[in-house]
Amino acid sequence: MSNIVLELEEKIGAIKSESARKTNVGIVREIGDGVARVEGLSSAMLNEMLEFPGGLYGLALNLEETEVGVIILGDYTTISEGDEVKTTGKLLQVPVGKALLGRVVSSLGQPLDGKGPINATEFYPVEKIAPGIIKRRSVSQPVQTGIMAIDAMIPIGRGQRELIIGDRATGKTTIAIDTIINQAHINRAGEESGDPSFRPLYSIYVGVGQKNANIARVVAALEAQDALKYTIIVASTASDAASDQYIAPFSGSSMGEWFMDNGMDALIVFDDLTKHANAYRQISLLLKRPSGREAYPGDVFYLHSRLLERSARLSEKYGDGSMTALPIIETQAGDVSAYIPTNVISITDGQIYLETDLFYQGVRPAISVGLSVSRVGSAAQIKAMKQVAGKIKGDLAQYRELAAFAQFGSDLDARTKSTLERGARIVELFKQPQYRPIAVGTQAAVLWSMQKGIFDAIPVNRVKEIQGKLVEFFETRKEAIMAKIAAKKQIDGEVETELLAAIEEFKSFNS
Amino acid sequence: MKLSREARRQSRQLFDLALVDTRLDVARLRTIFDGVAERKPRQYVQILKELTRLVRLELSSHHAVIESAFPLDPAQAERFESDLRGQFGDITTEFRSNPALIGGVRVQIGSDVWDGSVQARLQAIKQLL
Repeated sequence: MSNIVLELEEKIGAIKSESARKTNVGIVREIGDGVARVEGLSSAMLNEMLEFPGGLYGLALNLEETEVGVIILGDYTTISEGDEVKTTGKLLQVPVGKALLGRVVSSLGQPLDGKGPINATEFYPVEKIAPGIIKRRSVSQPVQTGIMAIDAMIPIGRGQRELIIGDRATGKTTIAIDTIINQAHINRAGEESGDPSFRPLYSIYVGVGQKNANIARVVAALEAQDALKYTIIVASTASDAASDQYIAPFSGSSMGEWFMDNGMDALIVFDDLTKHANAYRQISLLLKRPSGREAYPGDVFYLHSRLLERSARLSEKYGDGSMTALPIIETQAGDVSAYIPTNVISITDGQIYLETDLFYQGVRPAISVGLSVSRVGSAAQIKAMKQVAGKIKGDLAQYRELAAFAQFGSDLDARTKSTLERGARIVELFKQPQYRPIAVGTQAAVLWSMQKGIFDAIPVNRVKEIQGKLVEFFETRKEAIMAKIAAKKQIDGEVETELLAAIEEFKSFNS
Repeated sequence: MKLSREARRQSRQLFDLALVDTRLDVARLRTIFDGVAERKPRQYVQILKELTRLVRLELSSHHAVIESAFPLDPAQAERFESDLRGQFGDITTEFRSNPALIGGVRVQIGSDVWDGSVQARLQAIKQLL
């Protein structure tokens, strides 16, 4: 009997609390440029969603004595002075989950691709506290970018934050897109193999302040390679309000965190954080926050550090998931010591630095070996790559130094000459067209052949051609060896003998 | 005209002077207001405007606006007043009729609102759909 009484009482309680809900209201005093100042709202909380008339929402960012500074999400032109604003008691949320894969969404998770509504069942707050020390473990599994120069010299691990930095039009986005495409190739191969221990890597591309045409190009490139189905695109373009651009990377992170929290792996690209900092600067200036260096607000460092700290590799006890971040920063005239670039460099676990000069010399991807570094990724590199790529970074650095000197004199000793010859060939080998990632096994086989001096006898201008033939030979006629490297993840005695025999066979074809 | 930081600070100080035991003393406020108007310090118009705004906000936080779709009869109004005083102490009350509410009552004290009107419930249903 007592049960039914309790139940009825509960029901009555629910009715009562529904009948007159307490809310807190304010009146719009000023509105403009996507920012409103609202008088009242005495109990609004920081980052709380506020409801404007017409179903619009805003975010309380400044809590002052008698006013609240609000950024409006969406079209603010319908709001006018004197409108009533209500608190909702909720934080800003975005839909998360696998339903978002293959979709292009706004910074609030609304579909932009005309493929109908998104049937997400779960929501995550946009601002989340990063996983703490207890939940984390160090990076130990690789993210294969499919770009030989990166996988060999600047390896990236799952859970790492690797900055892609360079001037405009040096191929920053291309590296990120190549990586996403390569994940799709690996995921597809993994799914086909039916290996239960295979861990797919889902990608999230966050476009901040990008041109609409650029986003469309990214979508088209991913669709062409059938990579979109493993990817979520969060688009906040140059025509969107600064508030949307400010939120987009955080929304993308929440979507990635869902994969991480559920024991899966995610890769997130922020393209780019320079424009994100600009959007945040705009909001901060409109909110009349004190400005600091280059008119950025005082917390612009915290803005990016809290965003990138959300990428992590979780320990097995917490599901073993990970979120890898590839933030992109655009520099002006190669100046890495500017305000925002130095901030982000200091937060990340390494950077891939792209140089304009290299790009125009035809070295693409234009990765500067001297300035690029991966602080934690080598722990995640597979053994085969470690075996063949261990010394390459040093060799290339030496080559660059010697090449600068060799321009002045012609009398070179034999050792210098061989370093120069080898270096020029490595540079050639690392050249790679866009949207054509290379499987890690093939990369290891090519670099192994290089170390064995296969390319030394070939003129530099024919290296690329022979490399193409060699790759084709390995992938079509020596599939067994490639499969062995992929399975063993190292080049042991057995594989080495087979590789040597294969190389001899290849030479006999091409002599 | 934009309010300078200094003027804002001064108006806040003047407002604090007009408070006795955290409640506004109207006689004091009048003296202060007239004194400032007479002496005409720098930016005095802005200072007085800001002071008026602060006073308006302070008064509204001790003032209950009770809106109903139809005018309440005196007995109901009396009950409302005594109930609100019981909860919130010394407050002033104001009764308004607003047919847009359709039914029910909406009470606002400062920026807190208890909305039990039919209009608000319809709005909630609309959002759920």
